[in-house]
Amino acid sequence: MQVPDLVPVIPELILLVAACAVLLVEPFLKTEGPGRGDKTAVMGIALAGLAGSLVVSLALVGQHRVSFAGMLVLDDWAVFFKVLFAIGAGLTILMSPLYLEAHRRHLGEYYALILFAVIGMDLMAAARDFILLYLALELMAISSYLLAAFFRYRARSNESALKYFLTGTFASAIMLYGISLVYGQSGATNYVAVGQVLGGQGGSVAVLFAVFLVAMGLAFKVSAAPFHMWTPDVYQGAPTPVAAFFSVGPKAAAFSAIMAAFVVAFPGAVKEWGLLFIVLSIVTMLVGNVFALVQTNVKRMLAYSSIAHAGYLLTGVGAMGWAGNSYPGQGVMLYLAAYTFMNLGAFGVLAYLKSQRPESFDHTLKQMAGLGRSSPWAAVLLSLFLLSLTGIPGTAGFIGKFYVFSGVVWAGLWWLAVIGVLLSAVSAYYYLRVIIYMFFREPEGEYAVKHPISGGMAGSLAVSAIATLIIGIVPSWLWDAVGSAFITLFR
Amino acid sequence: MLTALTFLPVAGALVMLIFMRGRPSAYKTTALITSIFTLALSVYLAARFRTGTAAYQFVEDHSWISSLGISYHLGIDGISLVLVLLTTLLSVVAILGSWNSIKDRGLAFFISLLVLETGMLGVFVSMDLFLFYVFWEIQLIPMYFIIGLWGGARRVYAAIKFFLFTFVGSVLMLVAILAIVWWYAKNGGPLTFDILALQQAGFSGSLAVWAFAAFFLAFAIKVPMFPVHTWLPDAHTEAPTAGSVILAGVLLKMGVYGMIRFCIGFFPEVAVKAMLPVLILSAIAVVYGAAMSLVQPDMKRLVAYSSVSHMGFVTAGLFTFNQQGIEGSVLQMVNHGILTGALFMMVGFFYDRTHTRLIRDYGGMAKPMPVAAAFFSLFVVGSLGLPGLNGFVGEFLILVGVFQYMKVFAVIASVGVVLGAAYLLWMYQRTMFQQANEKWFSLKDLSAREIITLVPLVGMAIWIGLYPHTFLNLLHAPAQNIMAQVQPYLAEHGDSLLGLAGSFFGGF
Repeated sequence: MQVPDLVPVIPELILLVAACAVLLVEPFLKTEGPGRGDKTAVMGIALAGLAGSLVVSLALVGQHRVSFAGMLVLDDWAVFFKVLFAIGAGLTILMSPLYLEAHRRHLGEYYALILFAVIGMDLMAAARDFILLYLALELMAISSYLLAAFFRYRARSNESALKYFLTGTFASAIMLYGISLVYGQSGATNYVAVGQVLGGQGGSVAVLFAVFLVAMGLAFKVSAAPFHMWTPDVYQGAPTPVAAFFSVGPKAAAFSAIMAAFVVAFPGAVKEWGLLFIVLSIVTMLVGNVFALVQTNVKRMLAYSSIAHAGYLLTGVGAMGWAGNSYPGQGVMLYLAAYTFMNLGAFGVLAYLKSQRPESFDHTLKQMAGLGRSSPWAAVLLSLFLLSLTGIPGTAGFIGKFYVFSGVVWAGLWWLAVIGVLLSAVSAYYYLRVIIYMFFREPEGEYAVKHPISGGMAGSLAVSAIATLIIGIVPSWLWDAVGSAFITLFR
Repeated sequence: MLTALTFLPVAGALVMLIFMRGRPSAYKTTALITSIFTLALSVYLAARFRTGTAAYQFVEDHSWISSLGISYHLGIDGISLVLVLLTTLLSVVAILGSWNSIKDRGLAFFISLLVLETGMLGVFVSMDLFLFYVFWEIQLIPMYFIIGLWGGARRVYAAIKFFLFTFVGSVLMLVAILAIVWWYAKNGGPLTFDILALQQAGFSGSLAVWAFAAFFLAFAIKVPMFPVHTWLPDAHTEAPTAGSVILAGVLLKMGVYGMIRFCIGFFPEVAVKAMLPVLILSAIAVVYGAAMSLVQPDMKRLVAYSSVSHMGFVTAGLFTFNQQGIEGSVLQMVNHGILTGALFMMVGFFYDRTHTRLIRDYGGMAKPMPVAAAFFSLFVVGSLGLPGLNGFVGEFLILVGVFQYMKVFAVIASVGVVLGAAYLLWMYQRTMFQQANEKWFSLKDLSAREIITLVPLVGMAIWIGLYPHTFLNLLHAPAQNIMAQVQPYLAEHGDSLLGLAGSFFGGF
């Protein structure tokens, strides 16, 4: 048997080793009662694994390798997402110990599960075959279900996991059915091979149906409306750092899969799937923004806001298909990078607040009142991330929206951009409302924080804030990186 | 040079943030010195400015986001210079004026003011659409906090209303920016956000009409023109004194400035088609704003509605597209900034002492506060257009311009002037004279600091009133430039009412 080229999966192998090491080392650590104790060692291993994966990925920039009989490639496209996932997971891990400690559920398998999810996400971005895409998606999803249920003594956490699991498996099944139809039409599961067979025959009904089903499965993962129902409950019930991770990692992975799969495998039906995503994007932006308006719980508001952001991202995907050109997709990639930092940051501040008062704080707006006085740093950081999510210039969020809508207008869909920007003006209302509570209102009860932001949480928030500002002020390098990554998709 | 001017306030704010937390006198002094240095720098620029040319001066151009043709491109012409001077002057005044009235979180307040100054200066010196948009949006944040944190009773409502109104307009403008940039890039031009390059593009057809509409809406909200003015009375009334001064003095001008640069600069043909509709809206604003002022029980709200009326003059003058109208319009922006800023300042000084803004709570204030009454009278008569003070010069030029274009509007505008005299003098009479309110007999007159705050405004009012040539000189060339842009279309579309409405759907 011929040994496949393993170079493309070195980042994932590093993560795999680190995850196994975490599981093996953890039993030997001293514990001080259930869920307590010094877990620096396992956290260090997990972070080292992510750092190793990050460095190796960066070292592999510019390479082009196909491995495992064409199922998987190594190109700048995959590297871009691998780097993004490693950074996202690293920031999540840094903000976790404080939170888990406060809830007495500081267990090593948490870190292992995050690493497994990252392996799945990496493979989703690198996959060039529907079967591998499905496997990678499941690896990511199953790790996610477990993470959602991590506080297994809590009803909300269980509800969250169960909802996520049931709807998630259902979506996976639909996608699998779509893949089987694709196979039936083309006799192949490899993107390129499928593209060659289906590209010529255009959009027959059977092909369109298959495309539709695959799109549905992935739309579930990016929490596009009307497949978004799970998102608010899952985010609210899951541990906050986990919710932060869900809102950026799996979403970016699913977008990478959507763009790679649809662009390469369904070139004959670009108009149709472009239109499908345009419709999805309009519904998603509407649902996300309108429901976010009425939330009084900030965590739930952020969940709906993440739906709204999926909508903005989908406009770019739709424009890509509609124009039959990849240019708008570059904006989507840039937005994903920007979104990773600002959304992780916003959830991170919530995680910090929750860890300060694990019993009484439940993320409601009321409890944010007066934060500007009691914890100015947390309030200022959260304001920065929220303003970035609004899309105020000088922040990453503006650059992301600018590039996405620039691509949308480029594709001639200026009316779609108008819908997008008007709804993002709506979003200003609910983001600013949090700022109003933090700075303009006096606290009703006593919600003061016990300790200032410190340690890993401080590092994580600082990195997110600095990245949010840097991308906002000098985005050129990121745009260039996105551009060179996107081209490799077509080799 | 312009970079230094623009970012000097932020640099001062950073120094304050890092070194002077919890030391009010230190950070206040630093804020004042920073703003005075910025003013000095802008005066130095004005001294070195070459008049008689419409070309942009002190240009700086560096590539910023090269893949989209976005550059860090700064430059000023006469119109921008005048507005830059207004901004730097009013910033000093605003900082001095809020010296003692801001007690809570003073550091954040003065930092907000300085960041706001950078945002405003950036808007006036940007030569790149992207850069312009960045500054245009960024100044929303400090203003939002200034209203929301240090404002009056309904400040939260006013702050969010101010933010959302402006934000909706701006995001539509963003789409219009993208649309024209991509149209130009796809139709033979380079991919660029450079304002001068785009002015050469010659946009036409339905794209031009729709893009004009988006730009115009964004700027009309800012001006604010009737009927999108409703945020203004709330924001002005609830904002702290310094906030009202800056808001009325400078932020409103950004709207008209945008109309000059973009609505007329990019789409001269559509702008000419829009002449009559804009003049009608302006006339409504002039009379409506004045009529609303007449019935306001709250001094600050009265001054706020008078802004609607006065800005109606400004937009009317601009859209006559003749020399007097345009120059009068720009000059009137400066006058309005100085006089309305001063009026808000005076109301603020009274409020600091009495903690009420209702006209009926006052009366006989001239007795305990004769100096204040004297200053107030000067600003009131300046604002109603007394010859010899600056308000007259601007209004006169605008009336001349409007008269040349269509006499009926000059008549309507004169009605506005008369109403202006009515509500201002009536307010003055009811607050300063009439039945004295015993409660206020023990009030102290203006302090030395307060007088120092007002003196530069008085000086400017008299200077422009007696010798407007200094400033008009700066405006001749840019005004002629604007006229040259619209000249080809004036004869054809100059007085069409429905030309604009028709062309909205011309492309469909």
